[in-house]
Amino acid sequence: MTTADVSPRARAHPHLVPLWRGLVVYRVVALVAAVVNLVRFGGGWERPLLGLVVVAAMAVWTLVSSLRYLRFGDPATACADLVVTALATASTLLVDSPEHIAQGGPVITTVWSAGPVLALAVALGWRGGLVGSVVTVAVLFGVRRIVDGDLLFDAQLLVVAGLAVGLAADTMRRSVEQLRAAAALEAATAERERLARDIHDGVLQVLALVRRRGDELARTDGTAPAVELARLAGEQEVALRRLITSAPVPGPDGTVDLSSRLAGVVPAHASLAVPAEPVLLPAAVVDELAAVVREGAGNAAAHAGPGAGLWVLVEDDPQGVTVSLRDDGVGIPDGRLEQAASEGHLGVAGSMRGRVDALGGTITLHTAPGEGTEWEIVVPRAGTRSRRRTWSA
Amino acid sequence: MVRVMVVDDHPIWREGVARDLAERGVDVVATAPDGAAAVRIARAVRPDVVLMDLQLPELSGAEATAQVRAALPDTQVLVLSASTEHGDVLGAVRAGATGYLTKSAAMGELVDAVMRTAEGQAVFSPGLAGLVLGEYRRRETEAPDEPQLTPRETEVLRLVAKGLTARAIAARLTLSHRTVENHVQNSLRKLQLTNRVELTRYAIERGLDADE
Repeated sequence: MTTADVSPRARAHPHLVPLWRGLVVYRVVALVAAVVNLVRFGGGWERPLLGLVVVAAMAVWTLVSSLRYLRFGDPATACADLVVTALATASTLLVDSPEHIAQGGPVITTVWSAGPVLALAVALGWRGGLVGSVVTVAVLFGVRRIVDGDLLFDAQLLVVAGLAVGLAADTMRRSVEQLRAAAALEAATAERERLARDIHDGVLQVLALVRRRGDELARTDGTAPAVELARLAGEQEVALRRLITSAPVPGPDGTVDLSSRLAGVVPAHASLAVPAEPVLLPAAVVDELAAVVREGAGNAAAHAGPGAGLWVLVEDDPQGVTVSLRDDGVGIPDGRLEQAASEGHLGVAGSMRGRVDALGGTITLHTAPGEGTEWEIVVPRAGTRSRRRTWSA
Repeated sequence: MVRVMVVDDHPIWREGVARDLAERGVDVVATAPDGAAAVRIARAVRPDVVLMDLQLPELSGAEATAQVRAALPDTQVLVLSASTEHGDVLGAVRAGATGYLTKSAAMGELVDAVMRTAEGQAVFSPGLAGLVLGEYRRRETEAPDEPQLTPRETEVLRLVAKGLTARAIAARLTLSHRTVENHVQNSLRKLQLTNRVELTRYAIERGLDADE
């Protein structure tokens, strides 16, 4: 996976700068090798003057592209580098005689020709390195026209270098992203805790007080608005308290805490009883259980009747997690669900059952007219036991 | 008349609760703004019930509970908190509190709870029952040597957590009301049995964290 920045004016990925520096050092050293090659063999070339011009151009391009790599580290410069280098390598055909080339004389660019392979690898990851090395090998073959040991050796080196540097760049990019995500999560958690403290110290206390004073007022002069006020303040207090505790606590291996998730799902007037420790389950399972509880709570709100209470209990056993959902409303008459199903209404019960079945769990319903409804959902723990956090205050 | 002490670091709340209780015939003998003061004042006035907030300066509610219970075995502690931290609540119960109410509880509920606490009864909300059940489940796997719940106690606690009243539980399990109360109380007592060991560990942990 490459996430290269394609904007030419973008700044170099800061964490890749060491790789770019290494590349620049390599190119300068390789340029020296090309100059040495010119000095040693230039006299025997067909057009030594042209050779001098090409090497001078290589020096200028080394300076220009190196500056760009250090500043922008962009794929566009790397691609341009590939083209310029290919042309410089191809110019060997004009500079040197075909016989000398065929005898195995070095190309004018020497090891300098590997520069764009490494540049593409740093800029675009292993794919860039692979493409760069294949193009460079093709150009070398175009100049030499024979497949000999030297060419194969060069090809091997180029491909391996392109892939290795590319993979290194990919790994650096990825780990930086992970680091950044972890830092963001930590910052978000710290901010949430700070907010929770503030809310706890201020708003929650006042809401609780309004609730109490409202009750008081309702008792002394029996006004309906006071009752309403007290109820609303009480509900908001509970809702707010749940909100500040309900940001999902991510566990190890992509698991999520079911308790804090349910806190955001269960209505404010309902009771939510959970263990002190996080109930860690795979995120997908938590999503489904939250959906089941939401449906059950919605159903209770619609059918249990006015003033009915709702209680949710979460229990965490080595074998599985049990979620109980109870209301003390009017209940469901015997056979009503079967009747609905036979009439083709899948309904809430069918939907809840379907979700729980898909999780490999069981769902049971106890109900009778006047006795409310009580769902019990058991989802097995797949394989290993959840890692428990030791309790501390 | 029941003698009560109110511990809370929020003055508005503390005075409000004290006044409300007094209006309902509860004798509020003292108030305290932090955990250390709570322990000190409780030793002097010996209240029947301490109404304890959890997030207190100086000494946490759980620690203050432990110290009050250690110094005054006849004084009961009822936790009244807006605490969002489950561990804090459980810590207070293990330290010897016999009941827990959230601050959103209605006044009538609170007075009733204070009376029941004074009589030595446990005041169990469904939320607290869930925490206690979870704590025993943890013990089953991690500390099998410590006292566990009997199947009957588990059954009763589960029904409390599902919002059934003691009367409804008695009817459902065909037990007497008194027996149901006993089961609930036993479940708390067994949590507090390992008190001394737990407390030392707790105090050390808190002591180490105190600089934060």
